[in-house]
Amino acid sequence: MLRFDRRLLLNIDWVLIMAVLVVALIGLANLYSSTHLYTNVGAPLYLKELTYYLFGAAVILLIVSIDYRVLLTLNYPLYAAMILLLVVALAVGKMVGGSQRWIDLGFFRLQPSEPAKLILVVTLASYYYRKETGKGFGLLDLAVPALLTALPFLLIAKQPDLGTALLLAFVFVSMTLFVKLRWTTLATLLCLGLSAIPIAWKFFLKPYQRQRVATFLNPENDPLGTGYHIIQSKIAVGSGLIFGKGYLQGTQGQLDFLPERHTDFAFSVWAEEWGFFGSALLIICYFFMILWGLNIAISARDKFGVLLAFGVVSLIFWQAFINLAMVMGLLPVVGVPLPLFSYGGSSLLTNLAGLGLLMNIRMRRYMGTS
Amino acid sequence: MSPRPLAKINKIDPAELKMLKKRIDIAMVVIILSATLLLTRLWYLQIYRGDEYAKLSEINRIRIQEIAAPRGNILDRTGQPIITNRPRFNVVWNREDAPNPDAIIKDLAKILGEDISVLLDRIRAATENPRYMPTRLKEDIDWETLVAIENKHLSLPGVRIEVMPSRDYLYGDFASHLVGYLGEISRAELSEKHYVTYQSGDQVGKQGVEKIFERYLKGEKGRNYLEVDVHGFEQRQMQLQDPYPGNDLHLTLDIELQRTAEEAMAGKAGAVVVMEVNTGNLLVMSSSPPLHLQEFIGGISQTAWDKMLNDPLHPLLDKTIQGQYPPGSVFKIATALAAISEGIVTPDATYFCGGSLNFGNRRYGCWKKGGHGTVDFQRALIESCDVYFYSVGMRLGVDKIAKYANSLGLGKKTGIDLEHEKGGIIPSAAWKQQRYKEKWQDGETLSVAIGQGYVLTTPLQICRMTAAVVNGGTLYRPQLVHSITAPDGKTLKTFSPASEGKILGSAHSLALIKEALVGVVNSAGGTAKVVALPDVLIGGKTGTAQVVNLSHVAGMSEKSIPYKYRDHAWFTSFAPAENPEIAITVLVEHGQHGGSAAGPVAKAVFKRYFELKNGKPENPAEAPLPSPAMDEKEE
Repeated sequence: MLRFDRRLLLNIDWVLIMAVLVVALIGLANLYSSTHLYTNVGAPLYLKELTYYLFGAAVILLIVSIDYRVLLTLNYPLYAAMILLLVVALAVGKMVGGSQRWIDLGFFRLQPSEPAKLILVVTLASYYYRKETGKGFGLLDLAVPALLTALPFLLIAKQPDLGTALLLAFVFVSMTLFVKLRWTTLATLLCLGLSAIPIAWKFFLKPYQRQRVATFLNPENDPLGTGYHIIQSKIAVGSGLIFGKGYLQGTQGQLDFLPERHTDFAFSVWAEEWGFFGSALLIICYFFMILWGLNIAISARDKFGVLLAFGVVSLIFWQAFINLAMVMGLLPVVGVPLPLFSYGGSSLLTNLAGLGLLMNIRMRRYMGTS
Repeated sequence: MSPRPLAKINKIDPAELKMLKKRIDIAMVVIILSATLLLTRLWYLQIYRGDEYAKLSEINRIRIQEIAAPRGNILDRTGQPIITNRPRFNVVWNREDAPNPDAIIKDLAKILGEDISVLLDRIRAATENPRYMPTRLKEDIDWETLVAIENKHLSLPGVRIEVMPSRDYLYGDFASHLVGYLGEISRAELSEKHYVTYQSGDQVGKQGVEKIFERYLKGEKGRNYLEVDVHGFEQRQMQLQDPYPGNDLHLTLDIELQRTAEEAMAGKAGAVVVMEVNTGNLLVMSSSPPLHLQEFIGGISQTAWDKMLNDPLHPLLDKTIQGQYPPGSVFKIATALAAISEGIVTPDATYFCGGSLNFGNRRYGCWKKGGHGTVDFQRALIESCDVYFYSVGMRLGVDKIAKYANSLGLGKKTGIDLEHEKGGIIPSAAWKQQRYKEKWQDGETLSVAIGQGYVLTTPLQICRMTAAVVNGGTLYRPQLVHSITAPDGKTLKTFSPASEGKILGSAHSLALIKEALVGVVNSAGGTAKVVALPDVLIGGKTGTAQVVNLSHVAGMSEKSIPYKYRDHAWFTSFAPAENPEIAITVLVEHGQHGGSAAGPVAKAVFKRYFELKNGKPENPAEAPLPSPAMDEKEE
């Protein structure tokens, strides 16, 4: 299994590695800026994050050394493990910020909803790969993948972590649209989806979640309450102007006006201190990485590789887009971190593992199929 | 290749690859559009509306703490400070800094000598305030308490001392009505236009010159720009803009004379006004009893206020400008001027006073029951013969008297720079018609001629009248402020004497009256001989103003008359007679006799004035001696 094919070394995806390294370094520098004034117990957060990065590098090494087709046999065990972890998180999870998201492993607090995102990608890619399409998927063909998505979706929504749950739904929709759908199926789903929104609003969303959406639509109504995050984040980003206030000089971030500034709102700190130049650079970096991921998908040697790469790309894309749109006040505040940039071990390792999969697929694009 | 064969995978067939490529292209478009959307938004926030957000972020992190400016000093005419500022120390409590509040508050209560529940109540009352805002536990602590707290500050985390400028009254209640006091700006004041730059909590002048000259005295607040975090706690000081002190107010008052007058009035209710006859500058403006200015610092208590309200000596009233009293015989100056100017009498024509005058079916008595015998114009003034003035009043008629009284500045406000001045009343036929819808009765003119009846005047009006009569006939607007100077010493504004024109009456008539007034103090039979000084020739006129109809007190001995029914005592005067410099008017409420109650007060002030003038300032003001030997019981 671990017999190493020298040809793989020639095909290492240096472009992706470089892109990831750039974002990682920027992210670490930014994390130092946003947390160096914290007085938390234990190691400084940027050092912890660096440790996760090193651990993540090992994970990438492990992933690229194994042919991604292994996943076709591992997909259901992984899926089962994910569901189990989500149930455990709900049952014994540590309450943080009012929801049960973490499992305390002693040395590491695992947030199972993070790997769940990637495992869902693997599961759906496997499913769609195996399922013959022919004329495209009909409504009934979608029952199984929909169910596969709904289970983690509900478990995560129950924590409650609406952002991550919605992210799963977005990934599911993206991947399903990517494989061939019948027009009739698409139309039916569209209608169903639209009619589900008011029902979800009324019965599914918790009051605080409804409040968040209402606040998003009009943040100035409640400037010190739920609108506070949006307003402060917009001020942070906007006050960065063209060149920013300078590294470690951001007042919104350094003076504690920004909430969650090292996690979900990390980009605001960056935008405040580095201005339009730095922020545009970072966004371009991300989207370059994402577009490069699509390039990997289309050059994969087999359809599973295409689907898997596309799934990972859609996962990273949606996270990045939702987070950036959220901190810039284009979307309501939902807890979606910016991949590689927001502090958090579970999220970082998941995204690095996803990028590892992309490298894996890229390296093996010229390999035989048997 | 591996122990477990990997799933068999086929290359993608070209048709499907083409389809997937098409969808990847669509995905690329979606992603590029998303990136464009995000970049546009970034541009919108950081560049298009960046300045706006930059401003918001400035406000966000900078708290502007205002520093009260030291108020301008108030000085006397020689530049001696009367009111300055001193630091006032308050004990404040910052609960965020205190790890163990209960124990600290307990210790603190012991040091402050307060009951612990008092402190806890204050803390409880402030729970609604933002957390960073310190709670004031005790105001204006004394020096020893301050030292005790500073010594223990290590064991009192969270306890701090706040320093605020506060008024320092160097002479206690000196000229209290005139200088006035400060208080927290009220809601109503905040909505007024000239307080537009003020904020709630600011101290403003509430009365007296503190109020009238507020805009000169207040100075400019300093600002402390503090960087704060989201919880409002100070992080560091960004910039300190020192406050700019207010301008100094140089009053026309003379500390020495004012003190002399106030000491002489101690225990009495009344007023003393001293005016420079040739300028209108006021050297003394004293209303007794004084306000206790110290009680007003930080807001007067309800009990102290009620006590003043119910005090029979009416300390709240500024008697110099708000006290309206019948002038009594002092008014004979006006009647005399009218009579001689109108040709009703000649200086030499004599008149016989038999002790009373019958008019209509009523008998009008003279204060001297036996009568004055034969009196001429000046003698009638000197001895204050009522019958003489009944007679001239009758012949003048009320409107003529009113004309001259008005020209002497009576019956209207003097226009002094103080609020709530009263104008008094000089009745006339038209006035009575308008006020009471009644016709003037000729008998009423007799009362008016001797300053009774409807006539009401303020001590300031009488003083100004006296000055005008003896300075050659010029009526000056009373002046309180001499100049205003900036903290750097530059003079911003000076107030020069403001003449309001000439009074009626020829120079000769005025000279006759002045001569008679000198006689009041200096000649045999004068009603104010007690006032005479050895080196200086003083002139003056006594007055006794009836408060109630005589029938109320008929048959009572003077001492058995209840305080509130006793007559008011007037004395108005000037010196030196040859070339008058100052006019002094004294009113003692319910003092009964102008000569004996009010005269000595004026005498003490004259004495001090000339001592100072002749270079003997080291002599302490001499308490006036009540005169045991009056030549004659007056009126």
